Amino acid sequence: MRPSQVQIDFGSLPETPLRSPSSEFEEISYPTPPLHTIIPATARTDDSLPLHYMQSAEDTSTRRRVAKGPGSSGGFMSGSGYDTDALLQYNDHDHKDGHSKLRPPIGGRVSSGRLHKPYPTPPTSISDFIHQNLEHLPPAIYTLLSCWTRFHKIGLADIVVWDEAHFGKFGSHYLKREFYFDVHPPLGKMLVALAGLLSGYDGNFEFKSGEKYPAAVPYVAMRVMMATFGVALVPLGWYTAVELGLSPWACHLVALMILCDVAWLCISRFILLDSMLLFFTFTTVFFLTKFHNQQYHSFSFDWWLWLGLTGISIGCVTSVKWVGLFVTAVVGIYTIEDLWDKFGDLRMSTRNQLRHWSARILCLIILPILVYMASFKLHFLILNHTGPGDAQMSSLFQAHLVGNDFWKNPLEVAYGSKITLKNMGWGGGLLHSHVQTYPSGSNQQQVTCYHYKDDNNHWLVLPRWNEPAYNPNNELRFVKDGDVVRLQHPPTTRNLHSHPIPAPIAKSNYEVSCYGNSTVGDVQDHWVIEIVDDIRQGKKDNVNRIRSLTTRIRLRHDILGCYLSAANKVLPQWGFKQIEVSCVKESDPDDIHTYWNVESHWNDRLPPGDVKHYKSPFLRDFWHLNVAMMTSNNALIPDPDKDDILASHPTDWPWLRLGLRMCGWGDHQPKYYLLGTPLVWWGGALSLMVFVMLLGTYLVRWQRRYVDMDATGWAHFLYVGKVAFYGWFLHYAPFFIMGRVTYLHHYLPTLYFSVLMFGHVIDHCVFSARWKEKTKRVVFGVATFAIVANFWWFRGMAWGIEGPVNEYWGLQWRKSWNIYNA
Amino acid sequence: MASPGKIRNRKPFSTPRSDSYDQDDEDHVHAVYQRPTARSAFEQALDTPKASVAVVGVLTALAFALRFYKINHPDQVVFDEVHFGKFASYYILRQYYFDVHPPFAKLLFGLAGWFVGFDGHFTFDNIGDSYTENHVPYVGMRALPAILGSLTIPIIYAIMKETGHSTIIAAFSACIVLFDNAHVAQSRLILLDATLIFFMSLTIYSYIRFRKLRYWEFSVEWWSWLIATGFFMACAWGSKVNGILTVLTIGVAVLIDLWDILDIKKGHTLEHFWKHFLARALGLIVVPFIIYLSFFYVHFAVLTHSGPGDSFMSPAFQETLIGNELLMHSQELHYYDVITLKHRDTKVFLHSHPDRYPLQYDDGRISSQGQQVTGYGYEDANNHWQIIPTKALPEAGRGRVVQHEDTIQLLHMNTQTLLLTHDVASPLMPTNQEFTTWPKDDHSRHNDTLFYLDLIDGNAGDAWKSKSGHFRLIHVPTKVSMWTHTKQLPEWAFKQQEINGNKNAVEKSATWYVDEIVSTDGNNIDLAEINTPNEPKKLGFFRKFGELQLLMLQHNAGLTASHPYASSPINWPFLISGISFWTENDTQKQIYLIGNAVGWAICVIFIAIYVGIIGADVVARRRDIEAIPEHIRNRLWNSAGFFLLIWAVHYLPFFLMSRQLFIHHYLPSHLASALLAGSVLNFILSDTINFPISVAGRRTHMRPSEFADLGAKGPVVVGVFAVIMFAVFVFMAPLTFGTPGLDGDAVNSKRLLSSWTLHFAAKNT
Repeated sequence: MRPSQVQIDFGSLPETPLRSPSSEFEEISYPTPPLHTIIPATARTDDSLPLHYMQSAEDTSTRRRVAKGPGSSGGFMSGSGYDTDALLQYNDHDHKDGHSKLRPPIGGRVSSGRLHKPYPTPPTSISDFIHQNLEHLPPAIYTLLSCWTRFHKIGLADIVVWDEAHFGKFGSHYLKREFYFDVHPPLGKMLVALAGLLSGYDGNFEFKSGEKYPAAVPYVAMRVMMATFGVALVPLGWYTAVELGLSPWACHLVALMILCDVAWLCISRFILLDSMLLFFTFTTVFFLTKFHNQQYHSFSFDWWLWLGLTGISIGCVTSVKWVGLFVTAVVGIYTIEDLWDKFGDLRMSTRNQLRHWSARILCLIILPILVYMASFKLHFLILNHTGPGDAQMSSLFQAHLVGNDFWKNPLEVAYGSKITLKNMGWGGGLLHSHVQTYPSGSNQQQVTCYHYKDDNNHWLVLPRWNEPAYNPNNELRFVKDGDVVRLQHPPTTRNLHSHPIPAPIAKSNYEVSCYGNSTVGDVQDHWVIEIVDDIRQGKKDNVNRIRSLTTRIRLRHDILGCYLSAANKVLPQWGFKQIEVSCVKESDPDDIHTYWNVESHWNDRLPPGDVKHYKSPFLRDFWHLNVAMMTSNNALIPDPDKDDILASHPTDWPWLRLGLRMCGWGDHQPKYYLLGTPLVWWGGALSLMVFVMLLGTYLVRWQRRYVDMDATGWAHFLYVGKVAFYGWFLHYAPFFIMGRVTYLHHYLPTLYFSVLMFGHVIDHCVFSARWKEKTKRVVFGVATFAIVANFWWFRGMAWGIEGPVNEYWGLQWRKSWNIYNA
Repeated sequence: MASPGKIRNRKPFSTPRSDSYDQDDEDHVHAVYQRPTARSAFEQALDTPKASVAVVGVLTALAFALRFYKINHPDQVVFDEVHFGKFASYYILRQYYFDVHPPFAKLLFGLAGWFVGFDGHFTFDNIGDSYTENHVPYVGMRALPAILGSLTIPIIYAIMKETGHSTIIAAFSACIVLFDNAHVAQSRLILLDATLIFFMSLTIYSYIRFRKLRYWEFSVEWWSWLIATGFFMACAWGSKVNGILTVLTIGVAVLIDLWDILDIKKGHTLEHFWKHFLARALGLIVVPFIIYLSFFYVHFAVLTHSGPGDSFMSPAFQETLIGNELLMHSQELHYYDVITLKHRDTKVFLHSHPDRYPLQYDDGRISSQGQQVTGYGYEDANNHWQIIPTKALPEAGRGRVVQHEDTIQLLHMNTQTLLLTHDVASPLMPTNQEFTTWPKDDHSRHNDTLFYLDLIDGNAGDAWKSKSGHFRLIHVPTKVSMWTHTKQLPEWAFKQQEINGNKNAVEKSATWYVDEIVSTDGNNIDLAEINTPNEPKKLGFFRKFGELQLLMLQHNAGLTASHPYASSPINWPFLISGISFWTENDTQKQIYLIGNAVGWAICVIFIAIYVGIIGADVVARRRDIEAIPEHIRNRLWNSAGFFLLIWAVHYLPFFLMSRQLFIHHYLPSHLASALLAGSVLNFILSDTINFPISVAGRRTHMRPSEFADLGAKGPVVVGVFAVIMFAVFVFMAPLTFGTPGLDGDAVNSKRLLSSWTLHFAAKNT
């Protein structure tokens, strides 16, 4: 991550003999005055070009200089402006830790990002104005082009394409205000709903995959609004490249690559979350680079502005998809390095140190969390009707929802009541059983926790076997604390049962199954009811009967003494990915996974309950929903029994081994194929390798005291390289560790960093290097042409391939792509 | 610019220094010279060679005593002795077997078994099988790991001495391993870990000796220790796959070392650097690799007979083994031969019977109602198929042999129908094609009955052979491969296995072979060719080696089945759970692999302290505060840092592995943490250390030395620790030695953590 130590080494005084004459490589005596310490006067006045760009001219004569390291800690923040008193200060011990101290700045400050420019005088004439803003012309043109590519033929497919089936549907839920459950945070879907609202969609379409949009659904308008996020990627990319201090040539290339990538284009044109995810990823990086360029103006208005915007942007990207945590990690690493550098600045006062720390904590931790929570608050506010996702939430939360009739439940549970039991653990479901049996262990009927409402969740509370059977005509008997009951599963008439057989996943617990029938059973079917407390009535001592919704109970097995528990362990395919239910031997009175409450309650002999309002605190619901999302997300693991043709492995991505058919492949429908522009993807992947090799070479040469770059050049090379490399790595490597199934579109945010790296490497090797102007022009021309031509060749992937696909020639660049029908 | 009085005060860079090596990181002008005789009496007494020998002698004797105590108990097969004992007997019987671990340690067991007169006829089938009843000289075999495990103790002691720690600290590190229940339990059974750990510690020792000679580069001693490092490294790697982590450790250390040599401040030329580079490449890459190869050479040379490992290997490999079934029965197939075909993975025959597919399945899909083609596990006349050519054949000769990529038809003998597949969904998998048959005389579906033969690794012109010729059968018009999976068809197909067409034509599991030639066309078969048992074929060593390595890797990664005692790496340092090795119900005896609770706790705490010290040092120096004297810091970073590296490299990679993992995988790391614990204890007790430790070269500037001095508190603290660890060891010994038997309450009292799953525990009330 960092070179092993800092060598701020500025050579010796001119008259000092540099080294013994015996050293084996070429030496050129050190020129006076030192080249890199102060920005040349010319550069100060005419500074439209990044600094390292300016200096190339001087460097031509001295490719190899001796005894002058690249001279920076390699930190993001490292500048080199600290000079002459550092002469001959060797950091002379080989510690393994990059022990380094920044010396306080003396002369001019050198940024590793874009060169700081003095604010221009206000324009006095139109031509002045135009002149001053000429730099914004190219991004404006690119934005217009981007509008064209994103909006062109956007309504061609009048059917529900790909995951529009999910996200369109979720949008509808917001419009109908029905509570639903999904693994992604709500911000993106709320924006989809907003698009629907603005375009006059009433929310009454089911978004079944492949179905034709009826006239009432303004799908084109909705897609256009989603695509607008995609349009913004291009100018954001341009300005990010500018802020990173890349040369104009490289900025053009970066913007062109973003404009011309068909995968980004394709994914932005439908009602999906990806365009928003990409948008907020781009803004995060952009704000971060903006913030970096304020590094010598700490606590100025701009500094606070960009820091705060970075924080808000982090909050937004994480609220769209959890993948946003990766870009958060990039910001995190940047900030840690930044603070580490500041920590070593001995001239900075403790007060300022603290201010720096608290500013980051405020803007990069607290602010994003607030944004994230706000999106959930809004989510709960909008979705106030019952819907398909109810069962994921606590019973109390559900009781709030309009259309829910829990409050009609008879208040107190009696023998003969039919109930459903809800686990009170975060993300817990309803106690469930179905006719399928365990493949191992007892081979008896499975008992699981299930998140959807279903008759298989019903249980009858019956007296134990050695008591007279329940008779509906006898006097009512309420269930009390300490009662021993039998729970019968009405659809199969079997009884909830446990026995000393290890559970399928949590092997140290006992298995819970359903056994026997309404007449056959044994004492292993007996469960003792232990009341924990009641949310309304308070402590256990005040509670003698079980109330639905509010009373928390535990179920102890009468014989084994173990407790019925559901601890978010997901069963394999044979258990339909439902949650395992087992019986834990250790009694931990605080283990909420052993807490249950009665959710629905039916008993004809009891009067319906009163209309009551139960408060369910927001933070509790927020946390509950997040745990439930996490649990479901972890359950999305590849199924070894099912060959999912859409899924792909992370190793397939950088070299674009696979594409993805996004819709049906019939001859008479437009066909969309998620596939990147090969040159962009391959170029990005290649540039990452080139960067690592370049860095290795420079480090080895640095160890031998060859000087390839001055301090500024080195700092810039590292800064941009690190942003791009960390970004790419942190967006890529985690997919290898994650157990869940991965798809090609997971690489799309990652691709951005490889594109930045491409810009950086080509800038470093060509545009900012000592080539002739003509060579640079040729390289730029060839690269531009290749990217645009490559895009044009594959444009059909995103704009829709009409007619039989086999009539299009030359799309099969790799054998593994399944574009053509075999 | 050198300012006197400052800490970092050093000659200007410009000083000519071609005549001297700087002692680089041990250059501390302000280091105070201390007379060795000024140290405390304890230190001086313990520092003498005699005292050192006495200490190491006592430790080693204790190690032998603890590891050989009741080594004959239990006289039954324990845990993985099932595997490794069995492998030893295969070496003695010279039968080929397959295992995921390299052969060195197992060869040693084979050797030990042979040495004590084991004839190899006991198969170590189940945990709990009796050795005495089967007359197995198991004590001799168990003695081997016990000896190696005991010898590890003096090596640990020596490592600590060599890195400049005083005798008492070295004894402390040795005690942690000496009194460790897990190390003892693992060393007194026929298991590979003792060998691995022994050679790993030797590797560390050799490398340290090598590093200390850095001012005597390219001397004979320097070369000797370099080669020794490489040799022992290869032995560690050859003992168990995990030994590769030792190689990795040394690799990382060498890279750091080379990076230092490259530094221009050292004043070395590039030529000098390359000399160093090549020397290490020779000593640490070439030599170990040759040694590693030689283990396999011996392995193949010993195992010349067919054995249980045959079926793992490719046909070409199997044909090199004496008595191999392929070798005995593999024949070329000719057209019109009647054969049975078997699926490689599930071992079912390709089968057909007159019953037909039902018109409609339960899920509403429609079938072709053709004749059923299924996979059937047993011999049956309905498994017989005849190879029908699709081209003109010569009357006799080689032309009638079926070759790679020939297009053939398969005729079901009993119903006289041809195998066919078509674009109809199979009964169980809507994505795959249904297989059925079609009357031989009805030519309307001729094209759908054509299949071509794709021999695995086949070249044009290769003959199709029974047994050895693994192949895929690819349907010509639709390019699906004949495939089967373990799901059973419903009652209408007698619960036989489904055969269907897999759209992935190169599917690995779609591999079949010809099990038997039922009858031949008759006229033109060379009978002699069938009946003579074939000579074993030769296969180059490197091809065998390559194939075996690949298989070992694949199977190692494939060991993912869940095991009741498998645990995830995060549990290991904290001793969350152990492994039940063996139990005997009658006497309530059990062996439970678990470490010495105090010893492991010390290790974890000291690792945490070390990380804390280093972190604090980095932070402090960032603020220009020099809290630790240079020579102590040097040793903390370099020696203790090396120990931490060993610990980390032997531990962290397990987090990335998805195979089943056990606590004994942590033992090498535990040893490293014991070394680290010694260093940290030294740092806590005293701010002195033996310095410098590297052997000065001819041109090295002599520096004032310092000597470690722990005073009286050293022996006292270490003594107390040792007594406590010994007490805990004895307390837990019944679980380690498997004797005496324990009643329920005793088991409960020894269950120090509730997560230990001991047997025979009394019911908690």
